[in-house]
Amino acid sequence: MPESYPREHIEDLVDDNLEWNQLHDMMSDFKDADRFQKVRDVLQERVDWDDPIIIPYADHLYVVAKSDDKWIIKCDCGHEFCEHDENWKADALINVRDTEEEYLDIYPENMHPHPDYMELREFFCPGCKTLLEVTNVMPGYPLIHEFEPDIETFYNEWIDEPIPTPEQTA
Amino acid sequence: MASSEDNPTDHNAEILSIDAGGTMTDTFLMDKDGKFTVGKAKTTPEDESRGFINSSQDALEDWNLNVEEGFPDLVSTVYSGTAMLNRLVERESEVDVGILITGGMEDTLRMGRGRQSYTGFSYSDRLHVNTHKHPEPLIPRDQIRGVRERIDVKGNELVPIYEDDVRESVNDLLDRGVDHIAVMFLHAYQNDTHEHRAKEIAEEIIAERDMDTDVMLSSEYYPTLKELPRLNTLAAEAFAAEPSRHQLQNVQDAVDDHGGEVGVRVMASHGGTVDIHANELARTLISGPIGGMIGANYFGEKLGYENMVCTDIGGTSFDMGIIIGNDWDIDYNPEMARLLLSLPMVNMESVGAGTGSYVRVNPTFDKIELGPESAGDQVGVSAVETDVETVTVTDCHVALGWIDPENFLGGDMPIDREVALEEIEEQVAEPLDMGVYEAAQGVVDILENKLRNDLEAVVTGEGYAPSNFKCLSYGGGGPVHTAGYTKDLGFDEVLIPEWAAAFSAFGCGAADFEYRYDQTTNIDIDADLSMEEAAETAGEQLTDIWKHLEDKVAAEFENSNIGRDEIDFQYHILGQYQGQLNAIDIESPVSRVDTAEKLERLLDTFENAYRRQYSEEARSPELGHTVTQASVRGVRDVVKPEIPTEETHGPEPPAGAHKEPRETYWDGEWVETDIYDLHALQPGNEITGPAVLEGAATTFVLPPGHETWLDEHRVHHLSDSA
Repeated sequence: MPESYPREHIEDLVDDNLEWNQLHDMMSDFKDADRFQKVRDVLQERVDWDDPIIIPYADHLYVVAKSDDKWIIKCDCGHEFCEHDENWKADALINVRDTEEEYLDIYPENMHPHPDYMELREFFCPGCKTLLEVTNVMPGYPLIHEFEPDIETFYNEWIDEPIPTPEQTA
Repeated sequence: MASSEDNPTDHNAEILSIDAGGTMTDTFLMDKDGKFTVGKAKTTPEDESRGFINSSQDALEDWNLNVEEGFPDLVSTVYSGTAMLNRLVERESEVDVGILITGGMEDTLRMGRGRQSYTGFSYSDRLHVNTHKHPEPLIPRDQIRGVRERIDVKGNELVPIYEDDVRESVNDLLDRGVDHIAVMFLHAYQNDTHEHRAKEIAEEIIAERDMDTDVMLSSEYYPTLKELPRLNTLAAEAFAAEPSRHQLQNVQDAVDDHGGEVGVRVMASHGGTVDIHANELARTLISGPIGGMIGANYFGEKLGYENMVCTDIGGTSFDMGIIIGNDWDIDYNPEMARLLLSLPMVNMESVGAGTGSYVRVNPTFDKIELGPESAGDQVGVSAVETDVETVTVTDCHVALGWIDPENFLGGDMPIDREVALEEIEEQVAEPLDMGVYEAAQGVVDILENKLRNDLEAVVTGEGYAPSNFKCLSYGGGGPVHTAGYTKDLGFDEVLIPEWAAAFSAFGCGAADFEYRYDQTTNIDIDADLSMEEAAETAGEQLTDIWKHLEDKVAAEFENSNIGRDEIDFQYHILGQYQGQLNAIDIESPVSRVDTAEKLERLLDTFENAYRRQYSEEARSPELGHTVTQASVRGVRDVVKPEIPTEETHGPEPPAGAHKEPRETYWDGEWVETDIYDLHALQPGNEITGPAVLEGAATTFVLPPGHETWLDEHRVHHLSDSA
């Protein structure tokens, strides 16, 4: 097991360009010690803004540092959603499919849930209009808040590194 | 090279057993008195016969013979090669195979089965869904054609075969230049008429087009339930096994050219050897660890041990198998190269832990972990001629003084103890803040605990009590750990043959010349029938299938010009109570069950076996019986290795067996330890631990609190001193 993989290998991992056997080896082995920081560096390099990424949050979304104690969720297009512990979905553009007709846009006939029983909610970024997330829930169900990251614990106790601040990258 | 004696004298090399592995070809040679020697040479994949001759030569040199002098005396030659398996593992073959399959089932190979997505993986990779992945099929989808037809599970025709589909598909596959056309229709093991009709049509077209493509039927090769393993196996037969025939023929030619007059046989998964011209060759793909089981069974038959647990530690794995009443269990769906196959294979459990297993500290939990990867035959970091970088279990043995660096593999492999100590310090001891010897001892303890747990699970998990078994330990690494992994399990006895390192090769030499054919059946013997009525219906049906399988076995022997009268046939069934899921394997006391009396004897045998395996209370004959599989084994006598028998001497080892004592580490202390030459000990000698018994290819470690004595067959009997 390498303590650390070369930068190109991690880029391939982020881009899903690894062969299955390479990926399998990485999954089966002990985790390389600097995996998180390397992945973070690759992602940071690819966005057009300078706010330091604290963690990747979901596809296209990151928690970034605006100051020492203000962390927000931000899309890779630059759109800023909310505080890291709030639900970004409340600020997203939402399309709800809750009729037979709307389901049939994307499903074959008789292959979708009944609209009285399940509705499909599609969440888009107000900035770039990218589809960020889809949930399938009963009508009336509250917005699902998937992930509330415990950033202090992660940085202080898991990886033992300082939490990035805007000054560091500036 | 290792040998059972020091001075070469007159030997007739009678039994030659060769295992061509991925890198080295190993030879085991035995004379008529049971004296043996071993040889080694590099495997030559492009023409395996060269490695075969070189390795034989290396062994014969110990007896001052060359191949021309040695080969004419041979009476038995068993070969196991590796080329076939490589074709499967690499999914590369010289031949192209096309498949005709029941329409709608064309994606059978690609879809596989859930189990096939993790089979062959390490324990943690089997456990975690994200590491599962379906393996690449042997045959690509564009060489598979569907034919409309359908036979149901009882063998009834539901949809007749669309012959135009067959014509179109065969023409299409021939246009693509396939060398074999494999036909597999659903439930063809119950009713093979559609497969045979497809073959007729295909052969007509092949003749019309003047081609020499070969047509193979699943019902002819593997008439067994479950279409995925059946198709995998048929594809493996065409794709990997058939192209190996010329390699095997080269080996036979090499024997002939050097004056040998013996037919080369190949080790097969069902526990016997087969001729190189056998119709079914794919089962010779898998022979690996079963040689030891065969050797153990032969050894047990000769010495009167009926029930044995076989344990084999090599560089990469720990293999365990159970022998009861001098027979083994058969696994009907073994895995090879990540494919589930439909072949009878001697049942063994294998765990990925051996003497070459890598030792690493898990950085998350700060604890020592072993394997699953290993350095294999590269031994470890202390083997300075290799490029191993990670500490292995063997390095720990070297550090603890258990293994003499000067005498590893008889001195053939240079070992540097200082390197072992430095690397254990850096990779294991320091991260855990332990002393280097403490760490090395910790590694050995972890391995032995793991092996002991696995072994206990295999024996007690099947419902057996270890006290009814002799535990047999062999393999190059076995005797170093035997005391550790059998401790407190309560085996009747623990046995270590002196030739432990060559035991698997010995086993291949001891294998019968045997063919075995199996067929899935669905024969109900209803409880409300009289025995006469049952014999006329179910009994007749089973008898007919046995006769058919008998013909197939006889046809195989005919390839070697062996007549029916020379074959000893055995008849088996898998039987169960009606409605149950699991069947048990029964050897029938009769070869026909078409009369009430004979059928009754078969059913009585089943009842007894059921009682033994489960309990009297679990028997349920009122449900009636079902025979789910019929098998026929045909055995023909071959010359087998002799087990040495020597005169018994006193308990005191002879002066010549003592070697220079050295310090070894046990439970936190360095102890002055007696060292013996394993091969110089005499039958009757008794030794009390701590002691190390060093042989040419294996080291037997006797910890404090243990003792051993050597019997007249050069087998050590290990026990606690308490």
